[in-house]
Amino acid sequence: MSQSFSLYIPTNSGMHRLHPLTKLALVFLCLVLGLFLPGVWLSYATFALIIIPSALWGGVLPRLLSALFKTALPIALSLFLIQGLFWPGGTPILHLGPLSFKEEGLYFSIQRTGRFIMIIGSFLLLTFTTRPDELMLALNRHGIPNSITYIILSTMQIIPRFQAKANTILDAQRSRGLETEGNVLVRIRALLPLIQPLLLGSIVDIDERAIALEVRAFGRKGPRTSLLTLHDTPAQRIARWLMLLAAVAVIAWGIYLWLAPRFIA
Amino acid sequence: MIRLADVTYRYPRATVPALDGLSFEVSTGQFCAVIGANGAGKTTLCSALAGFVPQFYRGTITGSIEVAGLNVVESPLADIAGTVGLVFSNPFNQITGARFTVRDEIAFGLENMAVPVAEMEPRIEEIMRFAGLEGLADRSPFALSGGQQQRLAIASVLVMRPKVVVLDEPTSQLDPVGAKEVFSVLRSLATTAETTVFMAEQKLEWVAAFADRVLVLHQGKLVADGPPGEVLASPDLGRYGLQPTRYTQVARAAQLAGLRSADTPLPVTLEQAVEFFN
Amino acid sequence: MNLVIDDVGFTYPGGAEALRGVSLRIQGGESIAFIGENGAGKTTLMKHLNGLLKPSRGRVTVDDWDTREHTVAKLAARVGFVFQNPDDQIVERTVIDEVAFGPRRLGQSETDALANSVAALEIVGLSDESRTHPYDLSASQRKLMTLASVLAMRTPVVIFDEPTMGQDARGLKLIGDIVEELKREKRIVLIITHDIDFCSAHFERVVAMADGRVLIDGPTAEVMARADLLATTNVEPPQLVRLAQALGLPVAPLTIDGLIAALPR
Repeated sequence: MSQSFSLYIPTNSGMHRLHPLTKLALVFLCLVLGLFLPGVWLSYATFALIIIPSALWGGVLPRLLSALFKTALPIALSLFLIQGLFWPGGTPILHLGPLSFKEEGLYFSIQRTGRFIMIIGSFLLLTFTTRPDELMLALNRHGIPNSITYIILSTMQIIPRFQAKANTILDAQRSRGLETEGNVLVRIRALLPLIQPLLLGSIVDIDERAIALEVRAFGRKGPRTSLLTLHDTPAQRIARWLMLLAAVAVIAWGIYLWLAPRFIA
Repeated sequence: MIRLADVTYRYPRATVPALDGLSFEVSTGQFCAVIGANGAGKTTLCSALAGFVPQFYRGTITGSIEVAGLNVVESPLADIAGTVGLVFSNPFNQITGARFTVRDEIAFGLENMAVPVAEMEPRIEEIMRFAGLEGLADRSPFALSGGQQQRLAIASVLVMRPKVVVLDEPTSQLDPVGAKEVFSVLRSLATTAETTVFMAEQKLEWVAAFADRVLVLHQGKLVADGPPGEVLASPDLGRYGLQPTRYTQVARAAQLAGLRSADTPLPVTLEQAVEFFN
Repeated sequence: MNLVIDDVGFTYPGGAEALRGVSLRIQGGESIAFIGENGAGKTTLMKHLNGLLKPSRGRVTVDDWDTREHTVAKLAARVGFVFQNPDDQIVERTVIDEVAFGPRRLGQSETDALANSVAALEIVGLSDESRTHPYDLSASQRKLMTLASVLAMRTPVVIFDEPTMGQDARGLKLIGDIVEELKREKRIVLIITHDIDFCSAHFERVVAMADGRVLIDGPTAEVMARADLLATTNVEPPQLVRLAQALGLPVAPLTIDGLIAALPR
């Protein structure tokens, strides 16, 4: 899995062994729970009661929490400061000299932070425990075209190569006396001789890769086989349907809650 | 197995034809090498045998090309794939990016051809041994060295068991011993599996040692065609921007110096040179 | 000008140990070919000479400059490096500007930069193409252009990474002539190559590397005679040497005349 733009952590847990679509359904349910129902605490509850136990089962909890902490903390902090202090016309509940935290702002920040944690957390859970190629294969088998899953998979692998190529180009230009170390202006000026070879080179690459795909019968119509195998069980199939039904029910309930006050009014 | 009749091809907007009146036939199981200076048309010819000239590159073509019973000028590329294999020289661009391990990368073509998994696995094992890729099955194809990627590109095409395999300078990234190994793999493929091998190459020492037949291209035209011993020892080679092997050069120098009889045929391989001098 | 590589070890950030204690002294006017199988450490070592890589241990000095104390752009004035893939560097719209890119970055006056570029294009046989767009050149011409772009920098040290790859007989002869010209000018010429016949024809000293170490280092004829050692790093001796050995001659000839002279009369 090295050299690919993938967060997959290869261990062999029960969570890892689940069918990719089962995990996708679980994540979908989490997102629906956190996003479609009003109230502040539901996304925290989803996170604590579904995502944390699943990550623990998958053996990826420490990595998940540390990645989440790094992304969520700055966002949460800025939300609390900006929305808390500058909520227009809110009710002040805590005074700090000339400034004050507003109740509505804090409420809003807690809600948004909860949603953010829940969305990122479920995304990390899925990518940490699911091989991208297995997920794409599962999607293929459920009607997503090959060409779309190919674009997703190849991008995951091409991005690190793009970075490597950028480094080679930078090396070539520095070797011709291009100064890249120094102040911001020097660095910006160094970008131009980097971008052109990167883009033009990539066009050639795309042409050749298209030929390589044709040679390997990628354009052939009809059935395909797969060396990768996906393990599925009747229990998982039932669980997926239940989770989907639950998600649909939650969406319906959320829409009802949203529309009801308007009709009553 | 390969039949060209009066093939002339121009790239879009080109004034000079890249292939100019080519006619030749290659029979089943033959290992045919094509040599020539840069720009002589080798890459274009290889692309044409697999249908990418003109189907991918456009341009105008006249004459007919038949490979493994297919009219490759008009047959859909998807129908040519699997029957005619094409390996080109940049190994990195031949990695599809669709798969995450070497094993799965090799499987990709078989999957698209709907080969059953039970049959796929032994074929992959076999080709990995054949191409010297043992022990790399679970690595990322992108984490391999240039030489390993080149072997992977060859293996990924050969595993599809094409009737004709066309290779355009497939050893450019390999060290000398690695290059020789690739030639020897192709040689045994032609001999034992009756696969027709058509290969553009610059490494004349290995062409001389392994190919059955050598074509020389010059400015898009076929200017020589025959067994390596004949074509590579020809005094005309220099006119086409090619340099004979050192064995031929040193033997010719010995003849000129009067050390060896001028009637003895010139050697093109090490074995022949040893015979020539003893 | 002299280069000193003193017990250099280098480990890539990922943990791969590419150099394991290499020491070499290179004097002004020397021409050295670095050979060995892929992954032996040749390119890693060369990148230390112009500062693209800094040693993990040991020291590399270019005359009085420790490479750790100078930027690549600065070292470029002393050490020119011709990269393998020309497409990694093309930034200008004409061949002449592309070749003058390095000289201009090095602070040569515009007159000098142009004069040096014109001279370099002449050497590689591309004088007629100076107004052409680099991408309108053929692949082998582009490679010759990259060569010219480093020659025009007039550095006392020139490093070539696989210059003969993809060249035909004419290109080979041209590159051979360039190497000879640089030798005549008493510049240091270093080459990384798999083309063993090319290296035996033009280089006085050969360093064979294996597994991050120097396997053999000596006059070309001596190194080429060691078929046993060369084989351990996937290198076969040149055709002439193999022929001499097969004929049981007691020499390792580097030229056709050398072999002819050794033949029993």
